[in-house]
Amino acid sequence: MERAPILQVKDLDVKFNLRGRQLHAIRGVSLNLYKGESLAIVGESGSGKSVFVKTFMGLLDSNGWVDNGHILYNGEDLVSYTTERQWLQVRGREIAMVLQDPMTSLNPLKTIGAQIIEAIELHQDLHGEKARQEMLSILTDVGITEPERRAKQYPHEFSGGMRQRVVIAIAVACRPQILICDEPTTALDVTIQAQILKLIRNLKEKYELTTIYITHDLGVVANVADRIAVMYAGDIVEIGLCEEVFYDPKHPYTWALLSSLPQLGVKGEPLYSIHGTPPNLFYEVKGDAFAPRNPQALKIDFEKRPPYFEVSLTHKARTWLLDPRAPKIDPPEAVRKLATEGVKGYE
Amino acid sequence: MLKYSLKRLASSVLTLCIIIVVVFVLLRQMPIEGYFDNYEKLDEFQIQVKLTQLGLNDPVLVQLKNFFVKLLHGDLGTSSRYSAGTPIATIIANKAPVSIYMGVWSMAISLIMGIPLGAAMARSKSGFWDKFGTAFIVFINAVPSAVYYIFIQTYGTEALGISMLFERENWVTWILPVFSLSLGSTASYAMWLRRYMVDEMNKDYVRLARAKGVSNKKIMMKHVFRNAFVPMIQYIPASLLYTICGSIYVESLYSVPGMGGLLVDVISRQDNPMVQALVVIYSGIGIVGLLLGDILMGVIDPRISFVKKEGAR
Repeated sequence: MERAPILQVKDLDVKFNLRGRQLHAIRGVSLNLYKGESLAIVGESGSGKSVFVKTFMGLLDSNGWVDNGHILYNGEDLVSYTTERQWLQVRGREIAMVLQDPMTSLNPLKTIGAQIIEAIELHQDLHGEKARQEMLSILTDVGITEPERRAKQYPHEFSGGMRQRVVIAIAVACRPQILICDEPTTALDVTIQAQILKLIRNLKEKYELTTIYITHDLGVVANVADRIAVMYAGDIVEIGLCEEVFYDPKHPYTWALLSSLPQLGVKGEPLYSIHGTPPNLFYEVKGDAFAPRNPQALKIDFEKRPPYFEVSLTHKARTWLLDPRAPKIDPPEAVRKLATEGVKGYE
Repeated sequence: MLKYSLKRLASSVLTLCIIIVVVFVLLRQMPIEGYFDNYEKLDEFQIQVKLTQLGLNDPVLVQLKNFFVKLLHGDLGTSSRYSAGTPIATIIANKAPVSIYMGVWSMAISLIMGIPLGAAMARSKSGFWDKFGTAFIVFINAVPSAVYYIFIQTYGTEALGISMLFERENWVTWILPVFSLSLGSTASYAMWLRRYMVDEMNKDYVRLARAKGVSNKKIMMKHVFRNAFVPMIQYIPASLLYTICGSIYVESLYSVPGMGGLLVDVISRQDNPMVQALVVIYSGIGIVGLLLGDILMGVIDPRISFVKKEGAR
């Protein structure tokens, strides 16, 4: 890929202190985010995907810290930021976020207009009537009709989908470079999900945003992402273009994840599920973190952490299966079927 | 809004009437001995004369009607035993102002001390202010107030070199009673504000505000504090009005000629007209306080709607 990365993460380690014990939440993750792309980070709950992006904005909970690594943005290392003043230059202004649950992400006692204006005044240097006009135009942009009237209303007067539009409006009002959508549709019902995803895609074009989606819904991913990063136990185990990860996955965890897609299930048969639980990150993980849950794990998977093997220029995976010496193990049938038939059923 | 207020007002008046009737009827069940200083020495005739004079020989319903008619004309009646013959309104007019001034001052002070304390506690969660505040709150709530009131009086008067007794014209003598009175509510304001603020701080909208680049200070002021204060506002009118009742402990410690203990006093002396009048006043205040609190909340919190919703979400 020729484009210059807008954000570079290098060997990032994030740890949390929980009741005197250290939890290694992000284990040496590197990632390049390219300008204008749309990256999806997928993984199960607790895989560290939210924590990972929170480090870009200095929003880790107070018991967590970046232990090692760099986050390069605009020639500056965000990891070196210590004061709130420094972070305020990044939050919203450069990187904005849409949270999961629109029902609770708005202040219930302020009109939505005021909440959008707050962001406009902070980041666009518009005030008074100009800020108000800008707010109305953003509300129109996110598909809220009668913006004049709606702006004066309070969050409880909006439905879930409409509130998520408002949250998106707030994020866009910051005029960020990067928009992080942390499970933007998880709390919404299915009919609204597609609308919201479409809206984010349109806004991405209009405002030339680089977007990161965090999700555990592979259906969402197929719809919106250029590239996919699969996270497991605080590590990106596979990353590649959307087609590469969907149609030519290499890591056993990606296989397992794809096999559990309901769309790939056979009617009448129980849906595939991954056995076991993710490793306990209070202890250092030895070898491949997924090995204990992988029925076909190799011996070396338990002993040595695999490096990244490049499948193509854009596709790499952390699995010993890609080592020339490894035995040939075929992906499960469902995954092979996916490669030939494609994903259906979404949108 | 207006309709709701009127409806609430009507039900408040009804509540008040019920309270009055219940108290009125209960008071008529009291032994008649209580009405006399020298019951044993009087013969039956004298007793009956006195009772008729007091209007106690009429049927209860007639007595009740007379009471309400007088009440509607603004007449609270005259004291029968506490200060025989004096109109109750005069007695209260003499005593209430001191209690009210003292109460309002102490409330102002507890707001001034309690709110910043609560906010500081929430901000420094499990830091110094939080620990200090918690210690203070636990102390105030655990130790009977009489204990620290006496300490404040003994050591306070000594340290400041002021008189133990209250004099209305001398403002220095107001300091200790007002301070003593304010401690309890300071602790509860701090406790509730901290609690509500911590609740608010953990909400998603605060995370979103941080993510959009609002500084912590502004988040605290414009979002957290404001939202946390709303549920507290509900109780302010009631506490303001309740200051009229005065405080038994503090007022008796410093000999403040206020309302504190008046009700207990008149009940023990079986001064029926006074008891009734005070019940009307105190319960009226309680009801009006709650009503004002609810209306105030409705004005401030947009989520509270006074109109019936038509199934919309």
